[in-house]
Amino acid sequence: MRVGLLPTHGGGSYRLVMIFLAILGILISTLPVIIVTIMSFSAADTSSFPPTEFSFRWYGDVVDMFMTEDGSSAQSVVSSVQTSIIVAAIVMVLSTAVCIPLAYALARGDRKIRTGMELLFTLPLVFPLVILGIAFLLIAESLRLEIGIWRIVIPHLALVLPFVLRNCIGAMNGISVELEEAAISLGAPPLRAIWDIVIPLMKAGILAGLIFALIISFYEFTITFFMYTIDVNTLPIWMYSRTVSSLDPSTLALSVFIIAADVVLIVLVDKLIAGRANLF
Amino acid sequence: MSLNLSRPRMLAFSLPALLAILPFLGACFYIFRFSISGEKGVIDGFSIQPYLDLMTPFFGRSVWVTFKLAFISSVIVMFLAVPLAFLLATLKSVMARRILTVSILLPMILNLLVQAYGWIILLGPTGVLNTSLREFGIIDRPLFLLFNETGVLLGLIQTSLPLAVFPIVSSVRAISREHLEAASSLGAGHWRTFYDVTLPLLRPGLVGAGSIIFAFNASAFAIPLLLGGRRVQMMGVAIRDMISPLFNWSGAAAAGMILIALTLGVLLFANWLLNRTSDKKGA
Repeated sequence: MRVGLLPTHGGGSYRLVMIFLAILGILISTLPVIIVTIMSFSAADTSSFPPTEFSFRWYGDVVDMFMTEDGSSAQSVVSSVQTSIIVAAIVMVLSTAVCIPLAYALARGDRKIRTGMELLFTLPLVFPLVILGIAFLLIAESLRLEIGIWRIVIPHLALVLPFVLRNCIGAMNGISVELEEAAISLGAPPLRAIWDIVIPLMKAGILAGLIFALIISFYEFTITFFMYTIDVNTLPIWMYSRTVSSLDPSTLALSVFIIAADVVLIVLVDKLIAGRANLF
Repeated sequence: MSLNLSRPRMLAFSLPALLAILPFLGACFYIFRFSISGEKGVIDGFSIQPYLDLMTPFFGRSVWVTFKLAFISSVIVMFLAVPLAFLLATLKSVMARRILTVSILLPMILNLLVQAYGWIILLGPTGVLNTSLREFGIIDRPLFLLFNETGVLLGLIQTSLPLAVFPIVSSVRAISREHLEAASSLGAGHWRTFYDVTLPLLRPGLVGAGSIIFAFNASAFAIPLLLGGRRVQMMGVAIRDMISPLFNWSGAAAAGMILIALTLGVLLFANWLLNRTSDKKGA
């Protein structure tokens, strides 16, 4: 008899149940995405399924939305996409810039401090987002802060730190001290050794962290939902305002662009960390 | 020569990151301070009135719904995640594994709104499921699967599934083949091996993943907002309603503290459970 977690043949009811549950899991994960993709090609105005005719008209609508709508109106999709991109870019750069030195310090420094720091930087991961959103809103409102785009950048930054740090630490773990020592014994100042030896070796982890920061910031909904203003709102907020009234097929077409971008990004991360690190 | 960093040096390297997380810590403190404020709209004085004001049947129901949905979803997610983890761990083809990884991970990072659209088209009153069931004459009236607890439960399961699958995959990889082979050579069937060998070996991973899923789903906000309509008042949504129409900020802060206590309590309980079983094993 063949042994294994999932027998390839035989196994009777065990195999059937396991395969059934796995398929159910895959269906729950993917069905909404598949349906949205199919419906975005429908030619009809209603959301009846399956679509009787197929067309690209909603994709044309999306392109039109981006081409014609004037960027000055704050509710426009163009300005919300711009805000999303700017916020995500700042969050990516800042989070990586602060996490590289921290990961270095944690890998080379005191063990006791390391455990404490790791715990501190996991906190944003387990803290309920709604409460964080409310807390940041309360601070911004009661101190009457006028900080424009930073209203969203600062909370997002806290949110991505655990992911970026984890990837940087994972990358640091693989780098042996000897390489650095060699550089220093050849006369390089310690900071130079870090810049020229350690950081290039951390590249894959840093890139994975950057992508995580991009994804999380770009799609963050809950905190942004509390923090957005008429002048500063992001793409998820814009999409939410469109759903509240009615389901507009052009939003579905826009969603398909997002799905495609996501798939590319996940495959990239999967390649970068290829089994060497955990995603969570 | 040693490269061990001195403490001041280590601190200097950590400083930028500490500055970046400072607003978060400030927010944590602020919400706690607000929850014991004497006034509803500003921080002034100390009082436990905000907590006492929450002792209403309405809020109690909200806590119960939150607990119930988070618990049921964690259990169902575990049932789905274990077979998926087995599948991911046994797949040989790199391409198949990558496709499976993407399709499980997608719901986690994909815009929640896109997924909500999908569920609405799929399960809404005029959605795919209801229209086809009606065409086949199985039902007369549409089934209401959305904007109630069923819809929220589905959404919670979907978004938290990847959080369970990937940690379990790493514990599955750690199970050595010899254990399974030994069980099988002693005559144990597949179910028997699963119950007596695989599950006990996976238990720490399962308890850990399950408690994280519970915490994650108990504090869910976007899913109950989008798929629950106004009817499913999970704590996240209830807290928002205290702020937005009611301006009861101290009450919202107090409710938030209760939510944190609930999730933290479950995480600590899981931790204690794990320590206890590993102590037993050691003895």
